[in-house]
Amino acid sequence: MRNQGRGKMSGHSTWPEWVYVGVVVALLCYVGAEAWNIERIIEHVPEDAELIKVEGQQWLWTFEHEDGTKEIGELHLEKGKAYRFEVTSKDVIHSFNIHDYTVLMDAVPGRINHVWFSPNVAGEFDIQCREYCGLIHYNMRGTLIVEDKGA
Amino acid sequence: MVLELQKPRPIWQIMFSTHHTDVGLLYLITSLAFMFMGGALALLLRVELFSPGVQLIADSMTYNRIFTVHGTTLIFLFILPSASAFGNYLVPIMVRYKDMAYPKLNAIAFWMIPPAGALIWLGFADFTWYAYPTYSVISAPGPAADMWIFGLKILGVSSILGSINFVVTIMKCKHPDLPLSKMPLLAWAYLSSSLITLVAVPTFAAALLMLLTDRLGASGFFNPVMGGDPIAYQHLFWFTFHPEVYILVIPAIGFMYEIFPRFSRKPIFSHSSGVAAFTLLTIVGFASWAHHMYATGMSFTEKTVFMVGTLAAVPASAMHTFNFLATMWGGRIKFATPIMWAVGGIALFFSAGAGGVVNSAMPLDFITHDSYWVVGHFHLFVMGTILFGTVGFIYYMFPYVTGRMYNETMGKIHFILSFVGTVLVFFTQHILGLFGMPRRIYDYPAIPEWVQMNIIISIGAFIIGIGMAIFLGNLIWSSAKGKPADMDDPFGLGGKYYFPYQAKNPSH
Amino acid sequence: MKVIIGSGVVLALLAILPSIQYVLAAGDSTGEYLDRRVEIWGLFYRLMIVAFTVGTVVSGLIVWLVLRFRESNPKAKPTSYEESGSW
Repeated sequence: MRNQGRGKMSGHSTWPEWVYVGVVVALLCYVGAEAWNIERIIEHVPEDAELIKVEGQQWLWTFEHEDGTKEIGELHLEKGKAYRFEVTSKDVIHSFNIHDYTVLMDAVPGRINHVWFSPNVAGEFDIQCREYCGLIHYNMRGTLIVEDKGA
Repeated sequence: MVLELQKPRPIWQIMFSTHHTDVGLLYLITSLAFMFMGGALALLLRVELFSPGVQLIADSMTYNRIFTVHGTTLIFLFILPSASAFGNYLVPIMVRYKDMAYPKLNAIAFWMIPPAGALIWLGFADFTWYAYPTYSVISAPGPAADMWIFGLKILGVSSILGSINFVVTIMKCKHPDLPLSKMPLLAWAYLSSSLITLVAVPTFAAALLMLLTDRLGASGFFNPVMGGDPIAYQHLFWFTFHPEVYILVIPAIGFMYEIFPRFSRKPIFSHSSGVAAFTLLTIVGFASWAHHMYATGMSFTEKTVFMVGTLAAVPASAMHTFNFLATMWGGRIKFATPIMWAVGGIALFFSAGAGGVVNSAMPLDFITHDSYWVVGHFHLFVMGTILFGTVGFIYYMFPYVTGRMYNETMGKIHFILSFVGTVLVFFTQHILGLFGMPRRIYDYPAIPEWVQMNIIISIGAFIIGIGMAIFLGNLIWSSAKGKPADMDDPFGLGGKYYFPYQAKNPSH
Repeated sequence: MKVIIGSGVVLALLAILPSIQYVLAAGDSTGEYLDRRVEIWGLFYRLMIVAFTVGTVVSGLIVWLVLRFRESNPKAKPTSYEESGSW
């Protein structure tokens, strides 16, 4: 099937649409570049970040500090330090989420996922599960307690 | 002319028919029934979520079952069959052929839907419409889970058979005098969505089979205890279901390609742009699936690749929006019910797409993953765009199917209630997600902002519900007692109501 | 034209300022770590500015189109297709 006449099958001038598509593509490039840059920045884990092992199971969170201290349902951290989490699950997929600090990472059985942060405000913050895991998914909660240095 | 309900026919004649208009009617009635059923489930959820504590649903497992069946029903038993309904009515007419390419296969594909729907509803599984392992393998109660798996298996086969029929009808049975480039854009929409179905759905069929054998303990594809990887399921699932969302939206966009030109009293601004946009989306839609999996522990490079793939699909949708607005420009628009729904649908389509562009930015996933932001976002697509486009087209096709006119005032009231309700519910849910409320939760702590927003959302949901009740009444009453329509131009637009080549149902 | 250049300048600023701030800011010494909340929410607000700007333009256009080209508008006239009989 031949093209009858060049480029004007619609019978209208096509340049407004091309300009519009150009603007859309430019905006999308901006979004992509920004997102790439920010992700690159936040994925850089500081070398002295302290390791916390996080394990989710139906329906609670357990934590293990570097010095072997274990906690269930509560996590005590020190303000101003950097922490990196190794997140996994004992049974089904959960998702470890401290919304107030934008920490979120799936807890997948058979796999260890990594995320890091540095709490810079003292206080108590909610820990939630962000992946459906059954009966008590809605209440698989915990508390992050950030204490000032030396407390 | 096709006048299903003016001339009473024995029900068994319609049920055993293989004529495309009869099969289309069966799909339409089935899909509408499931639309009301799935929507009713949503109202139950919103009563429970009105405030913290127990309102209506006594235990979390019942709640989990309700949202699972709500999603499963509306996607697989409402949106897909309603697209098939109008495709069956119109594709043969649009390509100037006497019926679908394989009429008996067509009827078989329809008749797979009621048993599949029965399996899903009698089972009432609880593992969300995703059915992610390892929960769905080791923890989800059977037989509900297994019934859901079988139900979806059957629906997948039905989809594939229907898609084969559409592709062959369009590509092989098209009238020799009609070049593809002049085929109406609605037919292009069916070609697009059918091609995507044929490539995407078999992957999920494989995943379902693997899930079933895992549940039976015969395999360990997704179970780490047996050496498997639960994330593999997510790749298979989303490889199907990201393109699936395009399968869902493309017919609705196709409906808008019918409504905008006719009610603006001028042809579509650019037919070739529409074809290009559908073709682009069909191909690029396969490049973005793992943006649903940003939180699973993917590497930086993987996340970047899928972000780029997601953004690449946006220009195609932008082209459709441009086409619709440029069609209205310079027109003389009669704002009857169908085009009100189409305009509302496009406005909401844009806001859904804008949210989608924001979602594709990987770092923002740390805020929004599995929160009410996601719920608000995808509902703006399925409700705001797809349901609005489909309902607008139902009103438009109402005279065609029944020979009568629906009540115009009630149709407009339905639109206003639905638009206001949709904005109240789904825009608010975006904000609720930013405040951290997870999705799929039966109850929530009494955080003041969460409580306030949930009240607004539940009220909005009931506004939508009232609109839908009016719709049901309008549909039933007008089918039986509506004013007979002027079949040449039921909306008084001046142009031809439907394609010059009309279908002849041999039973009429 | 002015609008396009203007928005280009805004976008460039939105992109450059955070990067400058990051480069000039402190590194990974104790107590001066990057605050992931600030970075992520900052990105969110920047993208919201873009989304709402585009949204205002698109929604404004839709409202204007609906009002200007409705058949009850006093300025409404038949389309060229209606006049030529090809409608």
